[in-house]
Amino acid sequence: MKVAVKYTDAELIVAVREEQSRNKAILFIYQQYAASTSSFIINYGGSEQDADDVFQETVVSFIEVVKKGNFRMEASIKTFLVSVARNIWFNELKKRERSGHREKIFEYGRDQKEADISHEIGDLEKKRQLRELVNNLGEPCKKILMLFYYENLSMKELVEHLPYENEQVVRNKKYKCLQTLTGFIKSNPAIAQQISEIVKS
Amino acid sequence: MIDHLDRSLRGETSTETQERIDNDPELTREYRFLRLAVDAIQDTGLYEEVGTVKEQWKIQQTAVAKPTGGIVRSITRNAAKIAAILILMAGGAAFWKYATISSGSLYNKYYTSYSLNTSRGAGDEDAMDKAYQAKDWQTVIASFNPAKRTNKTDFLTGMADLELKKYTEAIEHFEQIMAANAQAGTDYFQDEAQYYLAISWLAKDKVNEALPILEKIRADKNHLYHDKVEQMSFWDLRLVQYKESK
Repeated sequence: MKVAVKYTDAELIVAVREEQSRNKAILFIYQQYAASTSSFIINYGGSEQDADDVFQETVVSFIEVVKKGNFRMEASIKTFLVSVARNIWFNELKKRERSGHREKIFEYGRDQKEADISHEIGDLEKKRQLRELVNNLGEPCKKILMLFYYENLSMKELVEHLPYENEQVVRNKKYKCLQTLTGFIKSNPAIAQQISEIVKS
Repeated sequence: MIDHLDRSLRGETSTETQERIDNDPELTREYRFLRLAVDAIQDTGLYEEVGTVKEQWKIQQTAVAKPTGGIVRSITRNAAKIAAILILMAGGAAFWKYATISSGSLYNKYYTSYSLNTSRGAGDEDAMDKAYQAKDWQTVIASFNPAKRTNKTDFLTGMADLELKKYTEAIEHFEQIMAANAQAGTDYFQDEAQYYLAISWLAKDKVNEALPILEKIRADKNHLYHDKVEQMSFWDLRLVQYKESK
């Protein structure tokens, strides 16, 4: 496959950080590393769909680690991605309670001297639940919150993108949408409990 | 607290407010929920961004996939010629499809008029209903009164706009219905508005706006338009998405 842009590891880190170059960087990651990671998942009992999902989560985790400035370049990006993918897949297998596959992973993992990266990936299950709550908001609310908090658009720019009359209407709408999402999160017992424990400690 | 959060996310911190939040357990708790909500939005945004690039990568992969040498070697020369002709024909068809496909062509393929179910309007055949049934789109639009708007009047006016190819106006009406439902926790004309909103975005050559809505409808088996959307070619939609992203 032809690669439009080639990056060294250091260049890729910079490209991932910058909003303008991020999509090209993600495409490069897929072109370079998706196949090898997918083979690993499929060899360890996953389907093509599993491999697809795991790699997408892997790329998301990698970008989040880079954006937070936590990627330390101690290992190559390829090694990091494979480690993250393996960790995600291992946890997925645990969740599915497929002991046969889990043993294989244990055996495989025994020879690998890798740092524990689970704290960098975060709680994937919680992230999935939260994404579901965002998607449950409905399109208008999701759009307004995405444009403001993900695309970092100003209120003025939001008015241009949305069918609302002025900034104040958009501001009120955004306020209500964020409150709705917070309400959804509060009514998720596991997440609410987690927050309460963090606040108490 | 939301204002404080928004400002701090954009690098404008207020130490005084932050101290007040830190010193009050209830405010700390509320603030953490808000931060978690924002984290969830940002994570969802990134997940979807990666997903979009992934789909582009898949399309690229399909476009450059080549038959393996083993298969070619195993067939006879004549069969190879036939295969080559078929590949050329398929390639030509693929090229033709790529050259001619667009959001607009998909809109023409998938748009069907909406028939008004008279029983849904509580038996009241008002002016707008009558005009709609008579396909008098201008009268439908003229009888729309923003001060007395309901999801039904917004929907019928949006459909009349769509019939007259006034796509931007149609989108405004459909989004208004969804906004009203989200605010009131209702679903009156929600499925209809969602489906025709996606169709309107296709008409405006904005497949990136249409695709997430159609995917959501396809994933929801209880959606009124689920069966209709399931019959759509998502391969075509993604091809248009790839083409329009270039």
